[in-house]
Amino acid sequence: MWAALRHQTLSSSFSSALQQWRLGFSVLNRALYSSLADSSNSGTDRKQGLLQLDEVEKILSDVKADNVKVIPVQKHCEFTDYMVIATGRSAWHVRNIAQALIYKAAVGVLASWVKQKQQGARRMLLPSVEGQEGGNWIVIDSGTLIIHALDEKVRAYYNLENLWNTETSNNEGSQDLENAFVKVRRKNNSKKPAKKSA
Amino acid sequence: MRTNLKVVDNSGAKRVMCIQALKGKKGARLGDTIIASVKEAQPGGKVKKGAVVYGVVVRAAMQRGRCDGSEVKFDDNAVVLVNKQGEPIGTRVFGPVPHELRKKKHVKILSLAEHVA
Repeated sequence: MWAALRHQTLSSSFSSALQQWRLGFSVLNRALYSSLADSSNSGTDRKQGLLQLDEVEKILSDVKADNVKVIPVQKHCEFTDYMVIATGRSAWHVRNIAQALIYKAAVGVLASWVKQKQQGARRMLLPSVEGQEGGNWIVIDSGTLIIHALDEKVRAYYNLENLWNTETSNNEGSQDLENAFVKVRRKNNSKKPAKKSA
Repeated sequence: MRTNLKVVDNSGAKRVMCIQALKGKKGARLGDTIIASVKEAQPGGKVKKGAVVYGVVVRAAMQRGRCDGSEVKFDDNAVVLVNKQGEPIGTRVFGPVPHELRKKKHVKILSLAEHVA
């Protein structure tokens, strides 16, 4: 459903884009008008449609996601800057968290879409979602920010924090390994000449 | 079909033989999903020998063009075992994996990988 929305061209009408979502029409409208008021006041530096870290944190606390962790991975991950991990209490909760984040991104996109239509710009990006069918592990990818919504058991199984927190130490470990293979000649401080090995 | 691929996660399988490429008439390439049969497995793993599993190709000796014109190819053919919903069976992925997986919606494998090429 989200993929269909992404591939939809901007030339399609506003109303059909709204109908494509299963979200409540009235809720969407209310949020849209409030966000239109907000976005006109806020600065336009933010990338349209992509989620920002502070928005994500606010939504996750609204949805009551447990154990939210933000890990900056700029140093050892080339494809992203921040990883956010959140736990849901059940599969339905996990799916809810994902939907809330997408909803927020989509509302932001809609608000800017109206503005861009007036300015004539044509760039619109929605964050992509994976794992929607089975509600175990849902990943929302918005460029520099990747959000993982997991079940409690799945989180213990994959143990993502361990992986990224110890990533730097793994890389440093390999550096030492390279140094270890370099042969270092012994310093000969004695007055006797160096012994030739037998 | 019949390509032997190395398994690079800790799901328990070691070698796997492709029996079907899920998309594409000419075969599966880097980033595609395949159906494979486990030919060799570790004794205490999650998958056993002879099991039919899904996998995502993460390294291929055939070069794959990138959008900036460069091509990427690896020395071996490797696969990460995945269940039908696309969730990896193992918990860690070894060796480098390419960026192409992000476009193909395999961010889960990317996030478990130890090095992204």
